[in-house]
Amino acid sequence: MPDSRQILALPVVLLLLVGAILPLTILVVISFWSVDFDAFELVPGFGLASWREILGNPTYPYLIGKAVLTGGVTTSLTALAGYPLALSLLRLPKRWKSVALVVLLTPLYTGEIVRIYAWRLVLGTDGLVNSLLMGLHLVDAPLKFLLFSPFTTALALFYDELPFMTLALWIALERLDMRLVEAARDLGARPLPAFIRVTLPLTSTGLCAGALAVFALSAGDMQTPNFLGGPSGATALASIDNFFGTAFDWPTASALALTLLLTLIVAAALLAAGILRLGGRPARVAR
Amino acid sequence: MSRRSLAVLTAAVAFLYLPIAILAVFSFNASRLMAFPLSGFTLDWYRSLAGNTNFQNGFVTSFLVAQPVGILGAGLGLTAAMALIAAGRRLRIMLTALLLVPFLVPKTVLSIAQTMVLSRLGLGRGAATLILAQVIVVIPFTTAIIASVLIRLDPRLAEAARDLGASPWICFRRITFPQIKPAVMAAYSMGVILSLADLTIGLYLAGRTQPLSLIVASQFRRELSPDLNAMQVAVLVLTALIVVLTEVYQRRRDARRRGRAPVRQATGETLERPA
Repeated sequence: MPDSRQILALPVVLLLLVGAILPLTILVVISFWSVDFDAFELVPGFGLASWREILGNPTYPYLIGKAVLTGGVTTSLTALAGYPLALSLLRLPKRWKSVALVVLLTPLYTGEIVRIYAWRLVLGTDGLVNSLLMGLHLVDAPLKFLLFSPFTTALALFYDELPFMTLALWIALERLDMRLVEAARDLGARPLPAFIRVTLPLTSTGLCAGALAVFALSAGDMQTPNFLGGPSGATALASIDNFFGTAFDWPTASALALTLLLTLIVAAALLAAGILRLGGRPARVAR
Repeated sequence: MSRRSLAVLTAAVAFLYLPIAILAVFSFNASRLMAFPLSGFTLDWYRSLAGNTNFQNGFVTSFLVAQPVGILGAGLGLTAAMALIAAGRRLRIMLTALLLVPFLVPKTVLSIAQTMVLSRLGLGRGAATLILAQVIVVIPFTTAIIASVLIRLDPRLAEAARDLGASPWICFRRITFPQIKPAVMAAYSMGVILSLADLTIGLYLAGRTQPLSLIVASQFRRELSPDLNAMQVAVLVLTALIVVLTEVYQRRRDARRRGRAPVRQATGETLERPA
């Protein structure tokens, strides 16, 4: 007999079907429609014009590739910084751990716009970093690349997603039997090989969860590049927004959104599969 | 605690709190220009904030939107988590996949698609659509928080209550809910905080409702005024207060539970004394 509590899934399933699946289905339908720009009306039908526009124009594959690259770079950077940070958090005395959790998560609670705004104060021409560098006579003129450049976007995204990655790695490390790492060290493995052969494979599920979250959040972020990237801040998402709002070209907006979505899902799946394969290594060593 | 760990933690805290510290510093700086060197101490920006009805209305709106998002997010997360625990393999995979959708789809894409649906159906946008759209994005988080606690509960407690004649509702209210209340509270604060922090969904689905993040974003495009700093610091202090109060509440609760629950299982888990 099926558990009667399963019925509790109903409200959430209904909400997500109406609020998420239906809209995504509508995107598919509208992507085949066309627009009558004289009457400013959508014309239902089946045409491939918007798909041809998206796949034929090299701008859009470029922007979609950029989204994947942004996600990949942010994921790698947060993983590189997240492991040392999570390993340090692991070594905290127990009663400090819940405090550390609050300290780690509080920056997440600042709104996206607040963080963006604060970076302008840190990295601007008269900002903290430039004033310090000038004050110490390390540079003669303010460094321009600090704000409104790909560097700014990368730094801000790294900042935004680091807590997510760290949290995922920290939880995975708490479950890892540290005696295995000690054993590897006792048997003469240097710290880095011990990390790569023991710690990394045994925390690969945590890394996978963190990587998926960071990838989805950073590749799907439009505001950070938009407000901080300057001329480099063009994103596929901003183009979608442009087609949808300013240009009233909903079919093209839909086709671009779907292409981006499919690419991101495939990239995320490859990323997850690649990370989970790391977990296979210790078994082979054991044999 | 090795010296290296300490150095890593110090660097991380400095990095994560640098932008926030800068905001706070400039909110007390006696100059309209937000630039170094600093000009002196002032409370003018907090005073001008007190007279800025635009910001105040925005804050009240944000708060009024965040409450239903927190409550609905926690409630629906609770039902979804209970279903997830009870579900068979097929339903569990389906439900998990469905819950991943609002998490993995970029907020911009989801909001635009929702706007298209509303517009085709001839429905307007406003507080209700904003709240529902935020609830949809919050549900994966609240479900994960509550499910992670539910899955560790001892099922024998609920079974014992049922065997002794408790109805499903009484069993939930007297046995299950008391054990997961902290997680439900955490889910609620998660919902409130994600709602307060949101800008993207508001840009598309808020209609004429103007939460604070939208007002700040529109100012942001024109000119940066220092009372914006004061505002941000005030909002930060308030959100931090929510976090700290929730944490204190949970700790007190845990302490109280430890103090009055003499029954211990072989596994060492603390049991709730039947009321």
